[in-house]
Amino acid sequence: MSALRMFLVQTKMNFVWYFQRDGELIFWTLAMPVFFLVLFSFAFSSGPNSGSSGFLVPGIIGAQVLSSGFWGVGVMLATFREKHLLRRVYLTPMPPWVFFASLVAYRMTLLAAQAVILIAVGGLVFHVHVIGRPWEILAVLLLGTATFVSLGTIVGALARTTESANNIASVLTVPLAFLSDAYIPIDRFPHAVSSALRLLPSTQFIDTFRDVSIYGAPLSHYGAWLGMLALWTIAGTVISARTFRWL
Amino acid sequence: MEQAIVVEALVKRYGSLAAVDGISFAVPSGTIFGLLGRNGAGKTTTLECCIGLGKPTAGSIRVLGLDPTRSAGLAALRPRIGVQLQATSLPEKANAGEVLELYAAYYGIAPRGAEMAERVGLDGKLDREIAQMSGGEQQRLALALALQHDPDVLFLDEPSAGMDAFGRRIMWAEVERLREAGKTIVLTTHYIEEAERLCDRICVLQRGRIVADAPPADLVAQYGGDATVSIAADRFAPDTALQALGAWTQTEQCWKLATHGEPGLALAAIVTHANAIGAKVDSLDMHRPTLEDAFVALTGETLLESAQ
Ligand SMILES: Nc1ncnc2c1ncn2[C@@H]1O[C@H](COP(=O)(O)OP(=O)(O)OP(=O)(O)O)[C@@H](O)[C@H]1O
Ligand SMILES: [Mg+2]
Repeated sequence: MSALRMFLVQTKMNFVWYFQRDGELIFWTLAMPVFFLVLFSFAFSSGPNSGSSGFLVPGIIGAQVLSSGFWGVGVMLATFREKHLLRRVYLTPMPPWVFFASLVAYRMTLLAAQAVILIAVGGLVFHVHVIGRPWEILAVLLLGTATFVSLGTIVGALARTTESANNIASVLTVPLAFLSDAYIPIDRFPHAVSSALRLLPSTQFIDTFRDVSIYGAPLSHYGAWLGMLALWTIAGTVISARTFRWL
Repeated sequence: MEQAIVVEALVKRYGSLAAVDGISFAVPSGTIFGLLGRNGAGKTTTLECCIGLGKPTAGSIRVLGLDPTRSAGLAALRPRIGVQLQATSLPEKANAGEVLELYAAYYGIAPRGAEMAERVGLDGKLDREIAQMSGGEQQRLALALALQHDPDVLFLDEPSAGMDAFGRRIMWAEVERLREAGKTIVLTTHYIEEAERLCDRICVLQRGRIVADAPPADLVAQYGGDATVSIAADRFAPDTALQALGAWTQTEQCWKLATHGEPGLALAAIVTHANAIGAKVDSLDMHRPTLEDAFVALTGETLLESAQ
């Protein structure tokens, strides 16, 4: 009961403090991905194997999930520690899981909103049809968010400073987005390479998300990859719980 | 009297530096305990070890019978202590009311934003964003966060730093009210006046060691040195009766008496004598030893010592 209230109030405050009152973040999370969609749609619209808008909409949403985990949570936690915000919270009786659950809830809500906007713009401007079942799409999105928030938390746990967290997050997010079917199809790589890339949780997540949303593939076909994502989430959570430092 | 806090042989090292070097003290419940000492003496380090923010290198700590260095003890302790850190940092975009609301949720109590704002002198400022609050206002909010859940033991690290005279008075009144309510308070301060007014007992730290631990009046009596009376008067010289009061020194026109006795009586005797011999008094000054004298005597080092 009191933990639920803590969770709800903390989640609300996450929204108000870190999103609603942060104009820069509103721009980066809501406007920037749409800008990417428009830019990449035109840039990739010619040539063989072109990344169509239908390919890009779920790809960009997927890339946002990655950056949400590594930047949004990983770097944020390192900043919180560096600014001594975590020390203050550590003194209160709030159970750590409440703190992390509210970060996950905040990120999931934000990503769901981003997905709705990108799908809407994709539909209106580029005639992208999303034929998947909404609940299945949402389920994959939420699982992916859980996975990358848990992995991002490891970044926040291990980085000593905000600066090093920033470096780790850029090294992880940008290449991963390009190597995980987000912007360009990995089929362009030699077969051995693309098979290897399909072992990445980011590729498994983005491909599943794309197939389930754009192509309406049934969720049940992706049991193995969803299971893998669940395992990554558990591993990320366990490692985070063991390595996270409040002080 | 039951002890709310017992610290025994506490050591905290940072590399080769012993920030706290084997200190022991106890704080009876319902009293105010002051940690004093120069910058870097180890006050914050000591306090942080008591609230689970620092792992002692050695020694033992009990707060309300619980061990803050173990996770079970700390978990049981957290709801019962209130803390104001020396440098509190809160989310920049948060406003005071929201922070109080969130902390009320952390402690499972009803939010008391308006009441707390009034108690610490932040009335009408609950919708101010942290980034736009002055340093003193942030200190007041930090105090409100320490108090809101009505803890049994309070740890206040330089609570009046950056506060104006009004804020300081509000804080003093709050602390005194808490003692009346039976709470135990540990505070650090650089304001001697504050320590003298509030503390039942003062512990003076010097380079991680305790150099004195006593009620303020005892510290003054023991380390404050002699009271002095100075008189500048034409043709004045102490007679034998006055010489018996203590040690006299003369510089030009001024005679100075250092005495263990009551300086008021000495003053009266000196004035009587001056009148009797017809010496015209130019100036007259009496100084009683203060806590500040005791503090300086206890912690003052020669420059050579400081450099080591
Ligand atoms: N994290 C740390 N790493 C290394 N040394 C530290 C650390 N924290 C404190 N110290 C050192 O330990 C000593 C005691 O510091 P502490 O903060 O306890 O002093 P203090 O009495 O609170 O001083 P002040 O009056 O300035 O607040 C200082 O010499 C300080 O430089
Ligand atoms: Mg200090």
